[in-house]
Amino acid sequence: MQFQKKRCVAMLLAGGQGSRLMVLTENTAKPAVPFGGKYRIIDFPLSNCVNSKIDTVGILTQYQPLELNEYIGNGQPWGLNSSHGGVQILPPYARSKRSEWYKGTANAIYQNIGFIERYSPDNVLILSGDHIYKMDYAAMLRFHEQNESDCTIAVREVPLEEASRFGIMNTREDGSIYEFEEKPKKPKSTNASMGIYVFKWSVLKKFLEEDEADPSSENDFGKNIIPAILNAGHRLFAYRFKGYWKDVGTINSLWEANMELLGDEPAFDLHGSKGHKIYARNTAVPSSFIAASAEIHDSLVAEGCNVEGTITHSVVSTGCTVGRGAEITDSVIMPDVVIENGAIVRSAIIAEGCHIKAGARVGDYDPEQERRITVVGKDKLIAEGSVIAAGAIV
Amino acid sequence: MEAMGIIFSNIYDSNMGELTKERTSGSIPFGSRYRQIDFALSNMANSGIRNIGIITKYNYSSLMDHLGSCEEWDLKLGDDVRFMPPYATGHNGSYRGKLEALQSAMSVLHHSDAEYVVLSDTTVLCAINYRLVLEEHIASGCDVTVVAKRGQTNGVRKCPLAVKLNDDGTIADMAVDYCAPEDYLIGMSMFVMKREQLIHIVQEMVPHGRYHYERDFLLPEYMAGRIRVNVYPFHNVALFNNSVETYFDNSMALLQEDVRRSLFRSEVPIYTKVRDAVPTVYGPNGRTANCLISDGCHISGSAEDCVIFREVDIDEGADVRDSILMQGSHIGAGARVRYCILDKNVTIRPGVRLLGSREHPLVVDKGDTV
Repeated sequence: MQFQKKRCVAMLLAGGQGSRLMVLTENTAKPAVPFGGKYRIIDFPLSNCVNSKIDTVGILTQYQPLELNEYIGNGQPWGLNSSHGGVQILPPYARSKRSEWYKGTANAIYQNIGFIERYSPDNVLILSGDHIYKMDYAAMLRFHEQNESDCTIAVREVPLEEASRFGIMNTREDGSIYEFEEKPKKPKSTNASMGIYVFKWSVLKKFLEEDEADPSSENDFGKNIIPAILNAGHRLFAYRFKGYWKDVGTINSLWEANMELLGDEPAFDLHGSKGHKIYARNTAVPSSFIAASAEIHDSLVAEGCNVEGTITHSVVSTGCTVGRGAEITDSVIMPDVVIENGAIVRSAIIAEGCHIKAGARVGDYDPEQERRITVVGKDKLIAEGSVIAAGAIV
Repeated sequence: MEAMGIIFSNIYDSNMGELTKERTSGSIPFGSRYRQIDFALSNMANSGIRNIGIITKYNYSSLMDHLGSCEEWDLKLGDDVRFMPPYATGHNGSYRGKLEALQSAMSVLHHSDAEYVVLSDTTVLCAINYRLVLEEHIASGCDVTVVAKRGQTNGVRKCPLAVKLNDDGTIADMAVDYCAPEDYLIGMSMFVMKREQLIHIVQEMVPHGRYHYERDFLLPEYMAGRIRVNVYPFHNVALFNNSVETYFDNSMALLQEDVRRSLFRSEVPIYTKVRDAVPTVYGPNGRTANCLISDGCHISGSAEDCVIFREVDIDEGADVRDSILMQGSHIGAGARVRYCILDKNVTIRPGVRLLGSREHPLVVDKGDTV
């Protein structure tokens, strides 16, 4: 089937295993991990697409796709349920002779050349499903087109001492890239790649095909495709992004990103007017009931909760119960968690559907020592009165 | 056992004062995140009724805006749900009762192939399974089933429909606009009957000046022995919002756990328009006690015994008690508000004191600044 030509099609890489998130991604693809009380990580790139007027998004899934597929559904919550484009889940599929897993990020796109070709787009936007940020991709696309760029890479400034942990783009004065260094020991600049690329589709397609034909390639954008395009003398540009951006690929960064939603002037503000909102699949739950015994300070609490206890500097998601005398401090409580009377949760991430029984103590924080985040995986039961030590992963 | 549904979106509008100035009773906000019609529509959707006509009179643009394409109810506007604006009868697009109102629904009634029709208005709020009502209606062999609630009559309040039951559940007495004593059940404005029969009575009665379903059809036909009526006593919580005072009391009743448990059950969810509001932000010095509170609020001041809708801001030092704050209200720093109903987008300036009473809550009109 052939559709009307699109200026840009977005491809969202949502297949990562997210093994550094440990128990949180045991049965959940990383992009489906809950964030910020009522969102999931994938809501951020998806909402950015919609807010940037990109109406065709392919989501490449591979690992534990069930929950993610169900969550995305027909794309209606993001307004991506159009019959002409919209959102499409693209799992690795069985071809006539061989069924292949996605070997790498580039291979995932290669296997879906057919999907992209249906829209014969001028450009393809490559996104990853594990970053929290708000970005106007339309502005990046304009930059890309104005510079007649073949490949534009979004970059952000990182402190020099941290630059060796990232893919660094060395640029000329006009923003064009002359060199790409993956995790350089002696970084020459501080422009770190954000894993967001706009390619001219005709160029990307050619390099994907060449990359696929090379058996020694790891089929990875950062390791193979970008260096190949650069070496072939194409025009590559770095697009500077100044806003908040966070890779939430580790327990600590996921916890931090949630904490950065709090405070009078949060580092990352979820609020936005129409056209700048973050959209999510909403559940039909009533409003939250905050009892007379409740104390809530410096926190986010979503709908569908029943709060009788104390919540301090925490994010409490949709459908949670916080019993009388329970204390939640510096923690992230994911959806549908029950925390019974008198239970104490400190510096912890409690995954969806957990049940913390009365009087249990989960996590701790001693200001004299480095904070160690405690994690309780999905649907776990923490027995009455039990103690889960700081930094434990259950 | 197919049934279609008819929802009267604006019966009793005139009793609701300022709250229906610019909207139908169906679009009155209720329960911190809903509109009254959400209950009627969700009940039908949850009962598997997929052919629903919504009868409107005037002021229905807010209702259409709220329901959108009905996707939150997993229904499709145009296919499953149809709006029926006033039937042009030459009297200003208004109607004098449900039978007359049903004239605008005749094409929908004719085109349906459902055997039964469920009628509901939007002022009685509950979570009801119409499948059970329908099953009982069919088993009873009666012409009409009336859904009714015990314990709501007090000999003072006038009931549009009241029934007294014998021990075997049959009707001992039926009355309309009656200050019924305590042993009566009050009608919940929900009826089940055969679709063909409803078409027939609308066609026969309206031209003879009989416009009211209860007064001109149900009661006289029952008294004359021409129809048999079954009563379905409803045992869960039902809230009757038929005046500003009952609206206020019923809103406050939501602060009781048993009321919420009966009204909001996960197996029969009440759906509403999604607004994509951020979770509510609780400031460092705010205080929230005994409140029902939606997404998108900023609570920096104090709220006690309140029903708070989406995107309400309560600034530092403000003190709000025993009040209903609709979407987009803003309470300025140090303001004091008690026994008030703030309609949508009301601004209370810093330091202002606004005091109603339990019996007569003060209503501030939509968009006003005080």
